[in-house]
Order: sequence, then structure tokens, then C-alpha cells
Amino acid sequence: MDKLILNLIHRPEMVPEYAEKVTGHGKEENLGRKALLTESLDIFKTQQMLAHKYGLKTTIQMTYASLFNAEAVALAKEHHETYGDEIALSLLGLPCEQFREKYKTKDFCIWMFSMEDKKAIVHDVFEKFRDAFGFYPESTGSYYMDADLINYIKAEYPSVKCAVATCWEEGPKAYHTCNNSWYTFMDGGPWAPWIPSKANTHAPAANEAEDSGIVAIPHLSRDLLACYDGNGSNFGTHPQNVLRGMIYDTKTWEYPYLYNLIDQYRSLAKYNDGYAYNMMFVGPGWMNKMGRWEQPYELLYKSYEDGCAYYGKLKAEGKLVDMTMAEFADHYRAVKGYTTPECALWRDILYGSDKQLFWYCDPYMRACVNMDQGGAIVDLRPYAAKLEWPVGIGTPHIQDASYPFLIQEKYRAGYFTHYAGEGTVRSAKLCWNGEEVDLCLCRTKAQFSHEGEDRILTLDPVEIVFSDLRVRLQTVITFSEGSSCIRIDRKLLSVSKPDAEITVREYMTACYGTTEYTEDMSSLTLRIEAGEDSVSIPYEYKCREAAVPGAEEVSCTIPPIKTRVSMLVNGRNKIGFVREGYAFSPMFTLGWERNLKEQEVFTTWLNLERAD
Amino acid sequence: MAQSGKGRLNYRCPSCFMRDIDMDMFYDKDKEEYYCLRCQYRGSEADVLAKNELARFRYGAMYERFSFED
Repeated sequence: MDKLILNLIHRPEMVPEYAEKVTGHGKEENLGRKALLTESLDIFKTQQMLAHKYGLKTTIQMTYASLFNAEAVALAKEHHETYGDEIALSLLGLPCEQFREKYKTKDFCIWMFSMEDKKAIVHDVFEKFRDAFGFYPESTGSYYMDADLINYIKAEYPSVKCAVATCWEEGPKAYHTCNNSWYTFMDGGPWAPWIPSKANTHAPAANEAEDSGIVAIPHLSRDLLACYDGNGSNFGTHPQNVLRGMIYDTKTWEYPYLYNLIDQYRSLAKYNDGYAYNMMFVGPGWMNKMGRWEQPYELLYKSYEDGCAYYGKLKAEGKLVDMTMAEFADHYRAVKGYTTPECALWRDILYGSDKQLFWYCDPYMRACVNMDQGGAIVDLRPYAAKLEWPVGIGTPHIQDASYPFLIQEKYRAGYFTHYAGEGTVRSAKLCWNGEEVDLCLCRTKAQFSHEGEDRILTLDPVEIVFSDLRVRLQTVITFSEGSSCIRIDRKLLSVSKPDAEITVREYMTACYGTTEYTEDMSSLTLRIEAGEDSVSIPYEYKCREAAVPGAEEVSCTIPPIKTRVSMLVNGRNKIGFVREGYAFSPMFTLGWERNLKEQEVFTTWLNLERAD
Repeated sequence: MAQSGKGRLNYRCPSCFMRDIDMDMFYDKDKEEYYCLRCQYRGSEADVLAKNELARFRYGAMYERFSFED
């Protein structure tokens, strides 16, 4: 196994997001409360001590508040000299008396401010940093950094080369977990480092012209299965995540899950040419002396020490390299090309199932393939559109920074719906003598291979049993680097009646959105391209369908997200079809149907492109 | 009856936790019980701890250590 790269990041928040609310219960708000400031700095010192104890260097992300604290500044300088820690600058931790006085607001998430305020805050914070240290930082970050913010920072402070820029699948699920009070909506981004495009932070740059000039890293390394369904903050490489999820033995205070999570990330080197990455990014708030939720301080301390100790052990064994954020940015640019995809064949390490997902991310798409549903695509983000999506006060998206989906099985049902309608999924149905079986009901496993420009997912064959016929079918899914296209091959390996012709119906049911609630589909257009027989259906919720034998292409144009999605098939003997949805099922479906005999293969391509 | 406050630790509602909601509970000294502001759960500290164990039912592999070498 290749070496895991670790970014370990601490931030001396003087007024941690949680601590003021929790430890200050029953008192009037006071951001300058001495006990709070002292405890926060003490926790930061403890976290630094634990990292250094286990031989790990850190990136110290100074907060605005900490720049007013002479002890915090002196500590950062000392640790830079002694341990090689990077002194960086966080855009988290803005709240302090000085900030409140100047900006007259309790907002604290940099991406939610107006562009005018973002510029003013960046100027204040970066210049204050320079006053304290005599140089501008090379790394920065927040939970999310919108494209306009990154572009502004890069233009004004070109020394910045790395930033924490999103929190994977933190969106409606996190909002719900926090009793609908945590307004961070940033679903749909990469789970591992990437180079953001100038147009949209979540969509990786495809070339130098699109390059925002920084390497982005996600906030924490999250469980790519548990986090997709549940609360993201329960399943990440922040030890507090694991405790928050109650994933520990209350008698022994052991948490094998944390080590399994780290090790699974190490294993991703198998799918990424030897490259694997982890980050642990903690503030002080969760480690306060009063404990955090049902965990006493002693358990909080132990979890952080154990986390550092495990990373330290891996380093001592030559299995891990610790880097500062700036060092990592240089490394990333050296080993990754713009179109190099990030791949993860991820297995369940928590529930005890055999469930397996495959995640794929490149500048044109993010896709998730679910082997528990026969290799169905259950999440799809069309990065090919490089959708401009300004975020913050004064824009159409004050809080919502998520990259829109075409398919999202949790927010739009997937295969299973109640009573009527369809959910979003890309799958296939096999039909024989009036019986129909969807591959979503065929649980299987996959193997990964990398051949030239192709990342190939070869699924174990599945068996479909009709009342008088048995079929063995194999699915192969190919992602070709830089193609903006997903190829799916279905091969009938065997049929119990060799001359039988099975009808295979490849389909994609989709819509668009960023949350659980439906959007207006009225501007969409469905189309079957077939020369003189071409058909267009403007979306009017009328439940219309069209099918054309021998068609060339089926497509849907989705103006609100500037995306065009199409499906193609080679050869003859095929029927292209489209389906409009209706009010109770506001989806659209594209698909192809053809008959297959034993040993024949049905190949389709799903293409994503910008609509304009 | 005086207002409620926080207990010894900041327990979350186990019933809400099981539906992926983190709800801090408050402590009623008169009744010696924690209670949820969102749902109808209320219980002693011992009951909260017992229900938290129950909430772990889905973590079937919580105690397992996996190998990823294959």
C-alpha cells in the first residue's frame, strides 16, 4: 500500500462555535469573556502538544480573533520554528469583539456575506495576519469557499495556494440533524482534494484556463457510505465525529471505526495510482472541560490523543507522510493532472453489510454507482456545465452552495417510491413475456481496473429469474478520462433458452435540484433526435411519452442548471424513448430499448454537457 | 417550579438521535429527569444511557477491525 498523505490542521478559535453556546448557558452573551478565551487557547495548546508528541506537523490556521491575541501569535511562531508547522489563516473563527464592532452582524460564515463584505473581511483578516507575522499566508479556508471568494483572494493575495473549501455532503442532512438550525448547504462536491474551477468551487477545473489557482481540500475525510445517508458529522476523521455518532464502546472507550475509516482512506491508493489522502481539522470548541454531549472531557481528550497516535504510528511505520497544506498543494499539482479522476470503491465499515459504492469525480461529473442496486447510478452531478452559482447575501443563493444534481437517490427516492411515480436513478429493466425485473433489485459487487484512459468497474454477474426463464447478465461501467461520458455495457452471459430474445430497457430517470424538495421543471425540453421523425416535448407535467425506432439520440435540456444530458446507442434494432413526468412525479426519463440474445452486448453512453 | 437547566453532561435526546436529530435535553430538577424540547421523550440519566446503547443497534460492525489489504 502506498503512503497516506495527512494534513493535520488546528485553529485557535478564541470563541469556538460551540463553546460559547454550550459553556455559556445561563449567561448573557459575552465574546470577550476571559474564561472562554483562556480555555480556548488552552485547548489549542493541548491539540498542538498531542500532534507534536506523535511526531506530526500541523498547519495552524490562525483565526481573525486569534490575531488579536499576542500569546496565540507567539505560539504559532514558536511552533513554526520548532516543528515546521505552517502558519496559515482561517476564515472560520471570525466572531470576536473587534469583528462585531466593525461589521455589526452575527454572521460568521464567510461565503454567506455579500461580496462587498467578503472583500472587506478578506482585506481586514489578511492584513491583520501580515501585521502579526510579516508575510501573507499560503493557505486559508472555511467550511465552504465560493468561487467568487476564491477568485478574489487569489487575485489580491497570490501567495495563497491551498484552501479548505467544502465539507463533503454537508447539506440538508446536516441541517436536519441540527434541528433545522445549521444553514450550511454544500452538497455535491468532491470528497478528496481537487483544483476548483473559476466558475464553481465544487466543479474541478478541466484545464489551465479554468484553474482558480488553488488546490482545495475538503473539511475532514468522510465515510463515503455512512455520510451519504446519515449525518455527515457522525462519520469523519475528526474523532469528535465518531463520538458524536456514538460509534464507541461506552465501557472501554474504544472506537475501531475511526481506525477503519483512516485505513479505508489509505486503501484508496489502489484506485488512484498510489495516491491517498486524509485530513483532520479540529477547532477547540469540542474539547472543552465541560465535555461534549454525553462524552466527558477525558473521553474527548483520549479520542484526540488516540487519533494523533494512530497517524503517528503509521508515520513511524513508513505508511504515512504528514504535510502542511502548502506542501500538499505543491505535491498535488506534481502528481495530478487536471483531468485525472478521483476514484473510490468504498465498502461498509459500520453496519456490517456487504454494501459497496463506487464514487467517481473529474472535471465533468461526480457520480456514485451502487452495487447493492445492481450498479445503478444513484448520484450524478453535471460538472460539465461549470455552473456559475454565486453564493451569499445579494445573490440568488444566500446559503445554498450545493452543486445541483440530476440524480440523488436520497432526496429523490431512487428505485423505491411510495404508491406512485418514479425516483431518480440510472438503471435497466429486463423484460420477458410480460414480466419485468429492474437491475436495482440485483445485489452484487464490483472490481476496479484502470486501463489507459479508462477507469472500469466490472460487476459480478447477476441472475434474473423469470417464471420460465433464467438469465445471467454482467454489467461493465466505464469512465473515460476527460470524456464527460459514462459507458455502460450489459452482456447476456447466458439464457436458459438460448434462442430467447430478452428486452433490455436502459433508462435514466432524473430531475434537478439541490435539496429534498422539487424544483420547477417547466423550462425543460425532452427530445428524441431521429431526422424527420424527431420529437420534442416541452415539459408541462402532462405525463407524455414518445418512442422512435432507430433514433439517434435522446436528451433533455435543463436551462436552470445550464445542463444538457443525453443518451446514445450504437447500431440498429433499438428504440429511443423519453417520458415527461407529472405533478406527483416531477421527473423525466430518457432511455433505449432493444432485444438481446445470449452473448450479445447492449452498450449505451450517457453524456453531460453545458446547455449553452 | 424553577426553570430547567443543563444536567451533569449535555445529553441528547435518544429518541431524536435515532432519527438523526441532535437535540440537547434539559434537566427538570423537580422530576429528576431529562426531557426533550422537540419530542415527548423524558427519562432519568440511567434511562438515557440505556437508550443510547439501543441507538447503536445499527452499528453491527462497530467492534470490528477490518483489513483493506485485499
